Amino acid sequence: MLALESYELSNGLRVVLNEDHSAPLVSINLWYHVGSKNERPGRTGFAHLFEHMLFSGSKHVGNNEHFRYVQSVGGVLNGTTFFDRTNYFEMLPSNYLALGLWLESDRMGFFLPALTQEKLDIQREVVKEERRQRYDNVPYGTAFERLLHLAYDPDYSYHWPTIGSMEDLQAASLDDIRQFFATWYRPDNCVLTLCGDFVPSEAKDLIAQYFGDIAPGGDFPQFDLERKPLGGERRETFETPVQLPRVYRLYHLPKMGSADWIHADLLTTVLAGDKASRFERALVHEKQIAQDVAAYILPTESTGILLMQATAKDGVSIDVVERAMDEEIDRLANGGVTDDELTRAKNRAEVEYAHQIENYDSRADLIGMLATYFGDANIVHTWLEPYAATTNENLRDVATKYLTADNRATSLFIPVNA
Amino acid sequence: MIDRATAPSPTAPRPYHFPKITRTTLPNGLRVLVAENRNAPIAALRTLVKSGADHDDAEHAGLASIVADLLDEGAANRDAIRLAEDTGLLGGSLATGADWDASYISVDVLSRNVQPSVEILADVSFRATLPPDGLDRVRSERLMEILQQRDEPAAIAGKRFAGLLYGTGAYGNSVIGNADSVARITLDDVRRFYDAHYLPNASSVVISGDVDSARAAELAAQMFANWKKAEEPPRPVVSPQSIPESRVYLIDRPQAVQSEIRVGHVGVARSSEDYFAITVMNSILGGVFNSRINLNLRERHGYTYGARSTFAFRRAQGPFVVSAPVRNEVTRESVSEVLAELRRIRTGDVETHELEDTKNYLMGVFPATVQSASDIASRLLDMELYGLPEDYFDRYRENIAAIEKDDIARVAQKYVDPDRALIVIVGNAGQIREPLGTLGLPLHEIDIEGNLVTA
Repeated sequence: MLALESYELSNGLRVVLNEDHSAPLVSINLWYHVGSKNERPGRTGFAHLFEHMLFSGSKHVGNNEHFRYVQSVGGVLNGTTFFDRTNYFEMLPSNYLALGLWLESDRMGFFLPALTQEKLDIQREVVKEERRQRYDNVPYGTAFERLLHLAYDPDYSYHWPTIGSMEDLQAASLDDIRQFFATWYRPDNCVLTLCGDFVPSEAKDLIAQYFGDIAPGGDFPQFDLERKPLGGERRETFETPVQLPRVYRLYHLPKMGSADWIHADLLTTVLAGDKASRFERALVHEKQIAQDVAAYILPTESTGILLMQATAKDGVSIDVVERAMDEEIDRLANGGVTDDELTRAKNRAEVEYAHQIENYDSRADLIGMLATYFGDANIVHTWLEPYAATTNENLRDVATKYLTADNRATSLFIPVNA
Repeated sequence: MIDRATAPSPTAPRPYHFPKITRTTLPNGLRVLVAENRNAPIAALRTLVKSGADHDDAEHAGLASIVADLLDEGAANRDAIRLAEDTGLLGGSLATGADWDASYISVDVLSRNVQPSVEILADVSFRATLPPDGLDRVRSERLMEILQQRDEPAAIAGKRFAGLLYGTGAYGNSVIGNADSVARITLDDVRRFYDAHYLPNASSVVISGDVDSARAAELAAQMFANWKKAEEPPRPVVSPQSIPESRVYLIDRPQAVQSEIRVGHVGVARSSEDYFAITVMNSILGGVFNSRINLNLRERHGYTYGARSTFAFRRAQGPFVVSAPVRNEVTRESVSEVLAELRRIRTGDVETHELEDTKNYLMGVFPATVQSASDIASRLLDMELYGLPEDYFDRYRENIAAIEKDDIARVAQKYVDPDRALIVIVGNAGQIREPLGTLGLPLHEIDIEGNLVTA
């Protein structure tokens, strides 16, 4: 059982401590409850651009010095942005805990004085290169973006990907960045998790010293995150320079953590978790019509997402692949799964959880997520219980209820010369 | 009030110890290494076979990795589906693969099921059935993968760079082969490779994680006892091409919005006596985020999302390569900046803080990279593959600490040569051809297969 202690500072900063002395390391992890869902159309890509800016120095930490301070003592660090949150983390030799807290508190409390147009211009270019490298210059790179555009109405917060559009990135001004920071980057919108080799009483003192005097902010802007039903399948065919046709599907689910979401998580393992899974076995192994298949759900807070994709082999029509997928889904919805399939899926969930717990950094991230999305870090102790309790009936029900044509968006990537 | 103006000082460091390694050698020559780690109820099981794509001849490029892909198509009395089902019922996942230096089989599994999982690992290691329908399936998937790479700029750049550097010999072909070579591979080729290379006396088994060392070692000894020993195949010869002067090879990708740049030449083998000095030098040059090349191209100029330099330390001399994807408009400038950084590191112009920061990073980061059972297994596999001494991880810090400024200049001058470098660029030729011409270097245009394109 993990040793967990949760508390809150008077400025609203929530803290979770997980003391564990197995290695002389400490992981410092901050979840800011802000992501691309807090952007508005025409102003997309801000949360992620902002993540880059937070590495470019604060009042007492020079440009690029954040990286240098951490790396020069043997630490590792990064940050990531997603729909619902932005996380920043470093893992340090445990005797440098104070250094990490100093760095993180400086950019939480004293970021604006160090912000300059020049830094913004450089990071804007870096992010545009990131977009080119990961989206625009690689085959299938824009698939997720296209799927989101199809699956959500233009004013819904998941309509755009975290990277944002080139136009919006170009338009981001210093004032936009300032306002974004002031609105969202504050102690009362953050969970700080420490995991590893520290003495809790000493850590608490340091946290109070470094974070205690950072002021909370005013009211948070409200977003309507109630998703409207699709009213039928949304579907597109996109001709593009790729060699093999590929189908992408997004099925809507309830929020992360709900019973149906957990059942759907297990269901995706039955569909595509290993070589003996339904899709792999039928499409790749036996019929050999697909090059690869995948099915998985995303850890999203506002609404649930189940993704599927399959690549047709050269000379095979993507329609044939889609039909074979649908046959397998129907078979599942009608006949359910075997006991062995359910056991394998539960085992997979158990192993994935164990892998997250194994490392301080991924463990701190999991704890931070649970505290941020569900308001309770202790869920880490019981996370697997609903998985263990899932029945064959549950899987049939989610297949029947959610894996239907009118609950999905479909994007077909077709070779341009085909 | 706390002083925010200066970075807080560290407290006393806490000692770190790499897990104790239990080593045994079976009568058939198989080496077994076990290391305990109780962070989570999982175990990492690995077989390392010390032959990889370095043994592929040009006609059969891709053979080692095809053999590896076939291992989980059936073993002992289980077919491919049964293997996946049974592994899954144990809470395990089975993976196989080959790189340049070796072939690997891995099972990550819930620790309560280690015993039957070691049996599966053994079956796949030396009782693979290599069925004909498995080869058909693996080959077909491989050909599709090769086809798909025709659209992937990073894959194209890597292949052409390797081909120009090593010709058709070892390290010059792709690990996954090409369409012709993969089409040519027969079941006989596969069985011959498996019989000749998958030998206990050329292999190691590693078990790490939530296990008891003595019991795990005994289990491995039992399960792998029947693996038959034979004479080891000779090591392949690696013969890099000589590059008398730097030159540019341009591969046109008309739809490109970025240029994939590779700059480099032959590097050194893992066994180099200068391994530690090169590691420190390369970390200053381009090995980590805060290194010169990335700070220059990314943080100063905003040309790229990330640029880095790598020495591929293999059993024979792997490449040294700088890689950077940059937007079309700044392709020439980026090549110039990279070459300038290669020149600068050779001058011995290294700040004391730069050297100390880098050494401290390399020395300090080790514990953070060996937290999981799988991380630890990887380190043990490296020790086995490259014949590292048993006290290697204990002495790592002092080996890094001993590197001084003079060493940086010395190894940079010896192993980094901007005047004899291959520069491979996959990009929009119409847009970048002309600017690249002003570099003052010979420029050749080739297609994605490496054939010269004549105007």
